[in-house]
Amino acid sequence: MTAIRIAFFFSAIGTPLAAQWVNQPTPGTPRTRDGKANLTAPAPRLNGKPDLTGLWQAERTSEQELTSLLGKEVVSLQIDPQDFTKNVMNLFWGVKPEEEPLTPAGAAAYKRHQAEEDHWPHTQCLPAGIPGDLFVLAFKIVQAPREILMLTEIASPTRQIYTDGRSLPKDPEPTYMGYSVGRWQGDTLLVETSGFKDGEWLDGFGHARSESMLITERYRRRDFGHMDLEIAFDDAKYYTRPFTVKAALRLIPDSDILEYVCPENEKDRVHLGK
Amino acid sequence: MKMTIPRVVLALSAMSASMIGSMAAQWLNHPDPKTLRQRDGKPNLSAPTPRLNGKPDLTGLWEADGTPRSELKQALPPDFFDLQIDVPNLTKYVVNLLWDFKPEQDPTRPEAAALVKQRSESNGPTSRCLPGSIPITLLLLPFKIVQTPRQIVMLFEHYDPPRQIFTDGRRLPEQLDPSWTGYATGTWQDNTLVVESRGYNDKGWLDAVGHPRSESLRLTERYRRRDFGHLVLELTVDDPKYYSRPFTVSLPFHLIPDSDVLEAVCEENEKDYVHLRN
Repeated sequence: MTAIRIAFFFSAIGTPLAAQWVNQPTPGTPRTRDGKANLTAPAPRLNGKPDLTGLWQAERTSEQELTSLLGKEVVSLQIDPQDFTKNVMNLFWGVKPEEEPLTPAGAAAYKRHQAEEDHWPHTQCLPAGIPGDLFVLAFKIVQAPREILMLTEIASPTRQIYTDGRSLPKDPEPTYMGYSVGRWQGDTLLVETSGFKDGEWLDGFGHARSESMLITERYRRRDFGHMDLEIAFDDAKYYTRPFTVKAALRLIPDSDILEYVCPENEKDRVHLGK
Repeated sequence: MKMTIPRVVLALSAMSASMIGSMAAQWLNHPDPKTLRQRDGKPNLSAPTPRLNGKPDLTGLWEADGTPRSELKQALPPDFFDLQIDVPNLTKYVVNLLWDFKPEQDPTRPEAAALVKQRSESNGPTSRCLPGSIPITLLLLPFKIVQTPRQIVMLFEHYDPPRQIFTDGRRLPEQLDPSWTGYATGTWQDNTLVVESRGYNDKGWLDAVGHPRSESLRLTERYRRRDFGHLVLELTVDDPKYYSRPFTVSLPFHLIPDSDVLEAVCEENEKDYVHLRN
């Protein structure tokens, strides 16, 4: 992992930090006596199910843990480690390279990505999809009666998760975001997604997903301010076994996503390799 | 307002550039259990408006009513239709929001008219994968409304960020950084959703001919879902810098049942930039 790759990784991120309406008291937020959001209040409910609506951010990774894997140079890049969690860089964080469960095809796709590191979708104003959208900056969940939306601060189309009882399509048109259906198991929202474009990036290192990838996410809102997320990846073409990552999400109260328009004042393209 | 061929081609082809991917479509036909149907199973587009928490539910995929070709021909050059731009349901209002205004009624100030003239030689924001913004993004392609108890979200097949309309009782903030999407709040007046928005930047165009907007723009949108299949938007544009008085346009939409927005990624396989001069 070179400094230059990390720099590429973040080159398309950052505009929305110049921020606005970051402090908009949101009606419906439970508060402590001093008026602050009560992050340990019970999780709100909507139509008998937990309401996951809110602005969420994956718990950041400590600078110490980042430098242990990425080297001291990561600090010199002046990247704000509050912006991301380690798994957006590498889904196999802490796993020895030779122990990663890659099939030969998966290893070849990984190698191809490493050779064209500036093709990381963020750098090209293309959607990162899942899990990238969940691990960089903040994302907003809006829960409607029959579907759940995920709005990002990066260049991804809004994700729709249908909770109206439909099944995954049998022969979906491959897309960046895939096709997602959700259902409740007790108080846990279980989301299944398939129909991905083949060969896209799963993380900043370049681990790939194939068209046969099935991603299963489990969301459990523990209380008003905290949600557990577990993501299981199953892609027999690129990986020898299913694997799982976990993330702790925290709510950012009284705030919202900021408008992000990736191609605005775009200056990078001419400097990127083809 | 008669337009020259190059201007129309630039404006509409640039707008439709990002349509092409999504036209090659998918899940276009998902029978929705909530769609109201006739006995033969077809959607009943004149069934009563569905409701959510005591208010009309505007949720659905909506598309602006197309303008008859005979009327489009009155203002577009005769060979426009030979260009094979795929505009099966083109509404005249995306070409020119002030289409229906007679010259003596036209509130466009000279500064704005000068900008429109200047823009006939340039490319609109959509040609560079920038947002179409309101109202273009409502008028060019289908868009989806998702209604929840505390907010409404609009999803586009265009390269526009999702639009959030807060219906939780909050007010418009006093200070807003200018943005493409602006900031919108909504209230219900009987069965009409009234959306007030401002905080827009001055880069967006109001239509393909390039009617401008300034940072002082305030939009008021009144949405009324007449029945299951029909929605009318009364759009009032108030921008004293460019228009001598607020003006209102009535925009009819129809529901596309059993369907959804398609993933549109403008930057995918992008080949136009090197050919654009400005």
